Amino acid sequence: MTSTHALSDLPRAALRGVLGVAIVGLIWEALVWALNVPSHTMPRPSQMASAVAATPDAYLSGFLRTLVETLIGFAAGAIVGIGNGVLFSKFTRLRQMVFPLFVVSQTIPVIAFGALVVLWFGNTMLAKSVIAFYLTFFPVTVNTLVGLQAVNPKQEALLRSFGASRWQMLIRLQLPTALPQIFVALRLASTLSLVGAIVGEWFGDTTGLGVLLLQAMYNENMVGLWAAILASALLGTTFYGLMALIERTCVFWRNDL
Amino acid sequence: MKSRSWQSADVYWGVAGAVLLVVLWEGAVRAFDLPAYILPGILEILVSMVDLQSTLMDATWMTVMEAVSGYVIGSACGILLAVILTLIPTLKRWCLPAAIAINSVPVVAYAPLVLLWFGMGAESKIVMVSLAVGFTVFLSALTGLDQANRKSIDLLRSFGANPLMIIWRLKLPAALPLIASAMRVSTTRSMIVAIVTEMLGAYGGLGWVIYQATLQIDFVQVWAAIFAASLVSLIFFGAVSMIERKVIFWR
Repeated sequence: MTSTHALSDLPRAALRGVLGVAIVGLIWEALVWALNVPSHTMPRPSQMASAVAATPDAYLSGFLRTLVETLIGFAAGAIVGIGNGVLFSKFTRLRQMVFPLFVVSQTIPVIAFGALVVLWFGNTMLAKSVIAFYLTFFPVTVNTLVGLQAVNPKQEALLRSFGASRWQMLIRLQLPTALPQIFVALRLASTLSLVGAIVGEWFGDTTGLGVLLLQAMYNENMVGLWAAILASALLGTTFYGLMALIERTCVFWRNDL
Repeated sequence: MKSRSWQSADVYWGVAGAVLLVVLWEGAVRAFDLPAYILPGILEILVSMVDLQSTLMDATWMTVMEAVSGYVIGSACGILLAVILTLIPTLKRWCLPAAIAINSVPVVAYAPLVLLWFGMGAESKIVMVSLAVGFTVFLSALTGLDQANRKSIDLLRSFGANPLMIIWRLKLPAALPLIASAMRVSTTRSMIVAIVTEMLGAYGGLGWVIYQATLQIDFVQVWAAIFAASLVSLIFFGAVSMIERKVIFWR
């Protein structure tokens, strides 16, 4: 696994992905057309495209709205998650007392909270971001903690012998060591935060991809439903891909990613 | 690391943390006289769980059946698909980027579609859970199957083992830890997906109970259902973790 291999692999994999999607789209279009599947069972990609083209504003504003909710929730989850991880690694007692509660909190179906969160925070963008945050902070906390605990004690001793403060140790040694682990969690969190935003919108809102999904379901509008699914897919894959790209740039010294 | 996390001091402080939370929760509710729609007291929730015993039992049973069926189907399909793709490398090269792309689509986005296709009954929930679990297990299994030692593969091949035997004897055991950790994470996820799908449309189950209670603005009942769901998720998670430790004894 040389780094040149890993780097040259990225565009090729992306190209293969795009090609794959294009081929799937074509086969889909052809199959539905050839087998004469009614569009209320399975619409053609071209029908979805024209549905989006007919009311581009609804999709665009829904896309942007959900994007903002997702990003706020993700950013808050990432910051709190990394902060928690650092605190837990510094204060053992705190970790022993609070970490099990975090684990239990993740077995709670967040969605059940949806109604409560909307009640607490009002029917605002904040409520959706809070749900996205709740799904995001835990994996980041866990991986930060695991990464920080994997720091080589000899390197810590060396830095300390140079008179490094606790803060310097954290910034110069511990966090960089934990970075690969943290990024694995951030990639996972990118998908989870989108789930949180979409589900949050189900508890009452007027714009957003989750709203589009729900409205299409109630109207049994199969074309619109698929268009909304594909819009969510676009948002999800783009966000995930961007995170993977940032990961490669930031964690450049790791070439087996 | 794993064994250390079960030291008695950890258990002791963990219990202390839980007790502290309960005291803080109940204390805050009493001190600030919080109305039930903001936060009901823990005692009140427990009492309501006893009162609603039969409703909650029926709903929990239904949700658990859906989650477990979907979990089993999804895990089996995920592992099987990973084995097939490992046997046919060309297929894998084309499918893997597509699979990663599909996996980064939020699974809940499919829920409305699955409900329209499979109806309001248990089928749609089982399909949703198998989708969510299947993808997680599939991607982990695929990574795990790749991790077998190159030299061991060559050795087995020199003994005349065919690709199927290499998978069964070497690659699958090597992949087991990764598959198991994916299946452990999937336990709580399967409960969550079942409940979400129930909230969108169902004839019963915990998600349905939560939805109905929300409509009736009965937030104590919402919390009672949340407690029931968490309890069952914890048991499911614990059971799978225990099986994992038994099966992967070499870890």
